[in-house]
Amino acid sequence: MEHLTAETLARLVDDAPDSEERGHLAECSVCAGELRALTDQTRALASLPEILPPRGDWGVLEARLRSEGLLKDQGMFARLELARTPAWMQVAASFMLFAAGAAAGAGWVGQTSAVGEAAAVAEATDVEGAAAAVQAAEREYVQAMSQYRELVARNGGDLESTDPISRYAALEHLVLVSQAAVRQAPGDPFLNGFLASALAERDAAARLVSTSTGGWF
Amino acid sequence: MATTTDKHLLALASEGDPRAIRTLYDRFSPRVYAVVRRIAGDDDLAQDYAQEAWIRAIRALPTFRGDARFSTWLHRIAVNAALQALRKAETRKKRETPAGDGIAPVDAAVGPAYGDALLQERLSRALDALPEGMRRVLILHDVEGYTHEEIGDVLGVTAGTSKSQLSKARAKMREMLSNLDGEVREQGVETWSI
Repeated sequence: MEHLTAETLARLVDDAPDSEERGHLAECSVCAGELRALTDQTRALASLPEILPPRGDWGVLEARLRSEGLLKDQGMFARLELARTPAWMQVAASFMLFAAGAAAGAGWVGQTSAVGEAAAVAEATDVEGAAAAVQAAEREYVQAMSQYRELVARNGGDLESTDPISRYAALEHLVLVSQAAVRQAPGDPFLNGFLASALAERDAAARLVSTSTGGWF
Repeated sequence: MATTTDKHLLALASEGDPRAIRTLYDRFSPRVYAVVRRIAGDDDLAQDYAQEAWIRAIRALPTFRGDARFSTWLHRIAVNAALQALRKAETRKKRETPAGDGIAPVDAAVGPAYGDALLQERLSRALDALPEGMRRVLILHDVEGYTHEEIGDVLGVTAGTSKSQLSKARAKMREMLSNLDGEVREQGVETWSI
């Protein structure tokens, strides 16, 4: 008996056999077995699972998207609609993470938070983890910013009178977290940019402190 | 049909919002990577192809009108990106090296079946070893569920050619898996077949 060809059997996975093929399959256990195996093979292929991309894939893609201008990072303050806020006020907001949290115990984020975030960054095993930790710090910063604004508004206070030491302390928070992030991902342009900005702001605040307080530092 | 949340997400992503794009990536990257990995037959190439697919998709997002599901639209972009990249690679390879039979041997025989994971591993390895033309059709039809007409559109062949290639690919795949079983049997290890 001449067997059906492999390609014919493969076709019969989808197509109904003609009368001759049907007759053969009824009599030939070898061909019937092969057809079953091909059918099982086809079902198994349809059930193959999704495959996770390799670790770090997002970081590479993110850099490419950014380099092609497809990822628009407006910067922390613009993204949070704080772009028109005076720079010193942004910094001062972060101070509240320290001063108010410690002094008033009003549920604000304290300095321990900065240490915790830096630790979280240090424990991150990749750029994505480090960036996530920095973003967590950013969220807390924004929360403090909002609370600070409310506080000043309630007290009818003048934002210009904000203590420069407060600003310096606030920026230390951001520097600490972003330094830890850059240690985890030395080549990441976003994190490096973030750190550079924080360092520049902090140094400027330090200079202001030294001139306004008669040399505290 | 996209939900309001999905539409909002897509709108944000089309404007380049990093978090929206990251959300899309997290949700769909396994599917994108799976299809390009199988078409590429190689991990390194797959990562390049997947990245290219994402770049194309994000670039084309403003043109996505929601006529089809986003996943379907993205999947088609991924398939096209992978096929196009493969064609380029093949052209380059043909220029640089003399033509061989293009059939890589399926390496190391595997042990006894331990369920789905092993079956999937064997299938994946056999897929990787199939000749390019057969692999593309087999993946698009049997793995991804494309019709022969759709395959014809994507590959630039007739539906009849696609159907014919599919039969050859299935038969070749079966032969390769049977050979694997034979190797294992010769080594005195319990075997299985699909």
